[in-house]
Amino acid sequence: MKRAGRGIACMWYPIGFTVAANPSSAVVKVNEDGTATVLTGTVEVGQGSLTVLGQIAAQELGVSADDVHVVSADTDVTPMDTGAIASRTTFVTGNAVRLAAAEAKATLFEVASEMLGVEPEELEAVDHRIRAKTFPEKQVALAEVAARAQIVRGRPPLGSASFNPPTVPMDPETGQGKPFATYVYATQVAEVEVDDETGEVEVLRICAAHDSGTTINPALVEGQVEGGIAMGIGMALEEEILFDADGRQVNPNLTNYLIPTSLDMPKIEVDLVQSYDPVGPFGAKGVGEPTLVPTMPAIINAIHDAVGVRITDLPATAEKILMAIKEKERAEVRQLGPA
Amino acid sequence: MSRKITDEKKAEGQKLLAAAPVTHPPAVVPDSLPSVPALTPEVNKQTPAVGQRVARPDIRTHVTGTTRYIDDLSFPGMLHCKILRSAHAHARIISIDLSEAGNMPGVVATLTGDEVPVNSFGSTYKDQPVLAADRVRYRGDGVVAIAAETEQQALEALAGVKVEYEPLPAVFDPLEAMGPESPKIHRNNNVYTSKVIARGDVDRGFEESDHIFERRYTTQMIEHVPLEPFAAIALFEPDGQLHLYSTNGRITLGRADLARTLNVPMNRIRLTATIIGGNFGGKNEIRTEPILALLAKKTGRPVKAVYTREEEFIASTTRHPLVMDYKTGVAKDGRLLARAVHLVLDGGAYASWSETTVGKAAILAAGPYRIPNVRVEGHAVYTNKTVTGAMRGFGAPQVAFAYESQMDEIASSLGMDPLEIRMLNGFDEGSASHTGQTLQAVALKETLLMAAKRSGWQEVGR
Repeated sequence: MKRAGRGIACMWYPIGFTVAANPSSAVVKVNEDGTATVLTGTVEVGQGSLTVLGQIAAQELGVSADDVHVVSADTDVTPMDTGAIASRTTFVTGNAVRLAAAEAKATLFEVASEMLGVEPEELEAVDHRIRAKTFPEKQVALAEVAARAQIVRGRPPLGSASFNPPTVPMDPETGQGKPFATYVYATQVAEVEVDDETGEVEVLRICAAHDSGTTINPALVEGQVEGGIAMGIGMALEEEILFDADGRQVNPNLTNYLIPTSLDMPKIEVDLVQSYDPVGPFGAKGVGEPTLVPTMPAIINAIHDAVGVRITDLPATAEKILMAIKEKERAEVRQLGPA
Repeated sequence: MSRKITDEKKAEGQKLLAAAPVTHPPAVVPDSLPSVPALTPEVNKQTPAVGQRVARPDIRTHVTGTTRYIDDLSFPGMLHCKILRSAHAHARIISIDLSEAGNMPGVVATLTGDEVPVNSFGSTYKDQPVLAADRVRYRGDGVVAIAAETEQQALEALAGVKVEYEPLPAVFDPLEAMGPESPKIHRNNNVYTSKVIARGDVDRGFEESDHIFERRYTTQMIEHVPLEPFAAIALFEPDGQLHLYSTNGRITLGRADLARTLNVPMNRIRLTATIIGGNFGGKNEIRTEPILALLAKKTGRPVKAVYTREEEFIASTTRHPLVMDYKTGVAKDGRLLARAVHLVLDGGAYASWSETTVGKAAILAAGPYRIPNVRVEGHAVYTNKTVTGAMRGFGAPQVAFAYESQMDEIASSLGMDPLEIRMLNGFDEGSASHTGQTLQAVALKETLLMAAKRSGWQEVGR
């Protein structure tokens, strides 16, 4: 019969490695109409990082995401970047973009200062306008400032900057040190049904609470969490590259190497827990990799809750679970039976 | 072994160059202009920009299947490349005979490891050949590359290549590979990178513990399975610059690796990554790019290679299988007092990103818990299997499976609720990590409580 179970698992995951150089750089150009162009050497690999980088530049300049165009991934065009790895793009490249946008903004503020008669450090860029922090009625359209900077003042508002998380080496004997700039945290609760006659597991629901600092784009973070959970389900229950005795892969195809399909996906409920990282851009950390980390143990713990067997060797295939159930039943019969 | 391109091969290349059709500049003009204006929902126009559910500019083309990936790009005169893989898990290459393959229909050029100017790459150790020249260390090693007019012709020509091997003893189990008697894959010790994290005194911690829990956990080898397999095109621009389109997630490093393997100044190489159809860590290194560049140079024509799904499995990197021995000492009230962890990572035939993976796995292995005494030791080991490298999580998913499984075992044995034992031991703001780092912006317990609340953890009776 089908038995229900649930399991919980949490995790920590580092963002912004510091044990090796980890730089990103960016260029931000504010155009004469107040729109902006960002150049970044990172690569969009499907996760939506360019959208997040555009939002970061927009936030710094006080414009909307739609006002920013992001150019990426061309070694002749875009500046150096450590790449789309290690869940670092929002944190490290994002900081480079923010700093480059701030540099472009500094030119805008100097030009606006002349226009408004307010010191540059007393200005802020909010909602397409540059205004005095304490007298918001003293304001001018950002587009007007940008045009004046370029056309009248001959000072194109552009910035280039790089960011490298502060580096602290680790002690080679004890590993003590500061290997990462910051960490994110997450917990997932999995609800499963295990058929105790076949060992088959169905994941019914996963509640995922993830900290990624202050969220830049909730839709993209949720997408990452859902994708990570799909990957985690595959790792927990079915995916495995198998070899024969001569070192030849026996299932290098999607017929015999099974990955979860949309039909295998459970109901997923994502909560984004907010924290503020003092180093991250606008408090953000990162989210890419950690999303699948708690999924496997949550499912394995749920299987144990359902049928009382603990799988210690991934993946927890139906065969393995069924054998463990049979073994457990035999052990119970031995206990009950005559000595 | 000679790493120089011989005069004879040069002459052959120049002859081919003269005969080849003129390469047109790579004007990547779409077949048709977009028929609809870009989708810009209201939310994309709002300020402040941070915190908005901004829609991605590429989402419409993804959803309608009109995004142009590398396999959608084509250039006049473009050739197609296929790579012959090793027939053995471990062997010496005695000879390579290309006489038949070179004359097969459509074949324009062949390439062997001897022709690669600097035939090695790798993120930490330059231990992986672009094409194996004298020895193969797993079945994914490329031995010969063939460029032909069509993909099918390139594939068929692989059958005409004759490679003579002298098989060597192979080892597939990482624990066995650590032993002194095991076949050696690169040097006299298959353990090629190790990491230790030590804090407090684990022996004393175990003595002070009321309960000791010990368990071995193991995980499997996994493929990234990106929708878009590895793909690249090499061509020479009219000004002589080498231009590569590639599914490479790290173009700055990629260009440096290309400059090194090809022995070409960096400003003569342009690496363009298009929109990539999934990376997950599998596209963080150069792969076929130097081969395609050399074939493009030999032929004077653009050369493309797209991995088949099978190649993606056998000749890209994969996730490290781990053997993890956990020993944890606990007080009777459920506090963790000591944890010793021993990790062995199956590194496969080449180092790739194993050093980073061992490091991350070791740093994270004790879990997000306040434990006064911790000792973690991790080793990566060469085996004659598929290379393991970067993959989403970098060692973290494996150790989390172990530490969170053991947390439940401990809770169950002490009659505690799984949530309760995690709340009792979890990191707080200002806790010291296992490397002695003071943690800030710690939201562990908020996530525990949030997931528990959302799932109704406390409402349901155990």
